[in-house]
Amino acid sequence: MPQGIWNGTLSFGLVAVPVRMVSATRDRDVHFHQIDVETGERIAVQRVCEADGQEVPWEDIGRGYDLDDQLVTLTDDELAAAAPERTHTIEIEEFVDLAAIDPAQFDHPYFLLPSSDSEGTTRAYQLLRDAMASTNQVAIGRVVLRSSEYLVAVRQRDQLLSMTTMLFADELRSADEIDSVPTGSTGEPTRGEVAEAVKLIDAMTREFDPAGYENRYRARLTELIESKRTSKRKVELSVEDEAATAPAPDLMAALKASLERARRD
Amino acid sequence: MPARSLWNGTVAFGEVTFPVKLYSVVQEHRVRFREVHLSDGGRIVHRRVGSESGQEVPNERIRKAYELSDGNQVVLEDEEIAAARGSNGKVIQIEHFTAGDAIDPVYYDRPYLLGAQPGGEHAYRVLLAALEQTGKVGIGRFTLRTREQLIAMAAHGEALRLYTMRFADELVPSSELDVPTASREPSARELEMAERLVDTLAQEWEPERYEDRHRDAVMALIEQKASGAEVQARAAAEPPPTPDLLAALEQSLAVGTGRKRERAPAKVGSGSKTGSKTGSKTGSSSKVKSR
Repeated sequence: MPQGIWNGTLSFGLVAVPVRMVSATRDRDVHFHQIDVETGERIAVQRVCEADGQEVPWEDIGRGYDLDDQLVTLTDDELAAAAPERTHTIEIEEFVDLAAIDPAQFDHPYFLLPSSDSEGTTRAYQLLRDAMASTNQVAIGRVVLRSSEYLVAVRQRDQLLSMTTMLFADELRSADEIDSVPTGSTGEPTRGEVAEAVKLIDAMTREFDPAGYENRYRARLTELIESKRTSKRKVELSVEDEAATAPAPDLMAALKASLERARRD
Repeated sequence: MPARSLWNGTVAFGEVTFPVKLYSVVQEHRVRFREVHLSDGGRIVHRRVGSESGQEVPNERIRKAYELSDGNQVVLEDEEIAAARGSNGKVIQIEHFTAGDAIDPVYYDRPYLLGAQPGGEHAYRVLLAALEQTGKVGIGRFTLRTREQLIAMAAHGEALRLYTMRFADELVPSSELDVPTASREPSARELEMAERLVDTLAQEWEPERYEDRHRDAVMALIEQKASGAEVQARAAAEPPPTPDLLAALEQSLAVGTGRKRERAPAKVGSGSKTGSKTGSKTGSSSKVKSR
């Protein structure tokens, strides 16, 4: 059961809903720690001052920023002063269509849950959730987490209110900043080729079944650990040698051949 | 500054293959700090030591280990872990396609942009046009650096986008959360009023209207501190929970309708704390890069 990582208020017009925030993701990665192979001892990380090589306690570590050759140091308390005053309020500023948002803007997903079981809180929560679901709208607002302000999108997902932190528009690189994105007459496709590719895509279309994909990297790591546990020998997993192939010389022929195969399968 | 590609390889779907370059979409502008020793301004470095002995351990003696449930450790060599990546990572293999609107955006993790390598432009444009026309997304696998990723490939404007994807079991299902529910559902009248309030505040999505006020505020703070000024934290003032839901909705509707009329051309947000003159975006982002 995930712990709440933030408690506050979701505010929407003059309606205020007390909520707590939990992460909507969980870490399923295989984690390693470091050991000294000679002694078997676990490795710990010490923070030391470069000037004298001495270990520095947490309370004596600040945040440094090089401003025109001058080192400016800030404590966490000082940095908190840059945060807006209402640090425990998600203030909804507007509602927008989910489909209009570039998914690249979404960063980390969380859930917002009613922070008490009082009738007023739970009803206001359900009301906002249902009103957004029935209008297909996403609420845009700002929130302060760990003394930084984030842009967030709040919407209904999986019967709950989800809140996702967002990147700002100027943090996303656009296609026209990349020279190798072909435009204009470079490689321009014909209508016949696109029609053939559409047929191939349709023939290769399946329902999206997110639970149907295995995390093969995790599976291989688990397999590796298991075989090392039973044998001390070095384990060699096979690595598939993919070749960087040349582009198909005759695109139309490759599309047609792929389509035939996709229809056969 | 021209973007540098992270990876070069081949996209394969069916029997069609074409060479591509991969770029990061995200160029984060958050102000990055480094750790400093407050009393003498010295740089903090991380030293790896034995947790009991406290003695520094040289790099060549450090290995990765996995702790089993019985407390025993399995020691792994870097080459063994590297072999778990499965392939040498030269091909983005699209396995099938699916309707783009069937994928909840929560499955998308990191976004990347694809460019074409010489000779790949034509097939790139054909796939882009066909994805655009069908609204579909290619689902496949690809090994970036050390691990195999599930990916989605989609048309985004003039370019192909690639997203690494979260696996379904990495998302917390609502059924595992303890969510208090109301004994009485919101009434039809409350729902209708809430929907009207949502409509009143509905806008066209214009992402550029939102600026990172925090970045500006942090830069202003750094400059204030550099000039020797005192920095003070402020007190918070939070709104109390709503006592009467219906009354609050009615009042919000009255206020909201008025607000929509007056705010059309204005910037969203009060922006009262963005008064930084020197913390320009170019200035702060170049600082971040030169960290």
